[in-house]
Amino acid sequence: MRSMVGGETRNPLTELRRGVLEYCVLAAFRKRELYAYEIVRLLSDAGGLVTSEGTIYPLLSRLRRDGLAQTTWRESEAGPPRRYYRLTNEGQRALDAFVRDWTRFRDAVDELLARTTDRGVSDG
Amino acid sequence: MDDDVLVGEYLSRLDAAAETLSPDRRAELVGEVRAHIHVALTETGSSDETTVRNILERLGSPEEIVAGEADQMQTPYVGAHGPAPGGVSRGSQWGAVEIIALVLLGLAWPAMFLPFGLIWWVALGFVGLLLSWASGIWSVRQKVLTTIVVVSLYASVVAFLLAGSTPAGAPVEHAPIVVPGSEEQPAPSE
Repeated sequence: MRSMVGGETRNPLTELRRGVLEYCVLAAFRKRELYAYEIVRLLSDAGGLVTSEGTIYPLLSRLRRDGLAQTTWRESEAGPPRRYYRLTNEGQRALDAFVRDWTRFRDAVDELLARTTDRGVSDG
Repeated sequence: MDDDVLVGEYLSRLDAAAETLSPDRRAELVGEVRAHIHVALTETGSSDETTVRNILERLGSPEEIVAGEADQMQTPYVGAHGPAPGGVSRGSQWGAVEIIALVLLGLAWPAMFLPFGLIWWVALGFVGLLLSWASGIWSVRQKVLTTIVVVSLYASVVAFLLAGSTPAGAPVEHAPIVVPGSEEQPAPSE
């Protein structure tokens, strides 16, 4: 909800991040279950993926609602119980499909950029 | 400033901003953010003002977080290649709002026979329509269709009543057809 939306200075990275973030969240707990803070930490440490950590919580809520993630409350040694996230079968399918699409997309962009860069050099 | 005060202020700002959410989700969100701050403070091992301010700043403003809720409402998951076969497709799920809307739209018709029946009939129909527009599941097309069906049913009954008051008469068998049909009409769910 930045003011740049609709303005002439639309940041492509903001748009990309918005589309990709939910799959990064799903990827965060694909190997083992994590609680929300660990997920936020993981994404935050992968530079540039999250700008405001708090907005992960609405996203997690939607992933639960859409049946892509499921949660279990577990006691913690320190403090209140924690809600641990793991993928549902549908979440796993969504993530697999994304990984395939993303790899193709990334390769296509990389290839195009590489080719046009080469041409630019040889032409100039 | 005391760091507990800082956290408290932040959380009450969040709670105020989250007023637009459902009560359940509002309480849940505030709880999630509170837990986040708690874990972050435990992890850093200090709770001086700078640490607290850093944690809160990384979270983003409460308004931003609540805006994130609205953002997520607009992007329901529809599978990477359409809905998964045998998976739950969001379009087929009915929440409380949708069911209540349909029940009210259906009840409006028998309610006509209560005292002040016409008022019940109009009020229930109106509220039912309002609720169907509040639905986050039905598409705009479905809502428009429902509205057209309901309004035209109402219009035809009004026309029938007006025609009935003139001696020239009207299609008398029209009403029994309209009433049972009305309970299924507002459900263009596919």
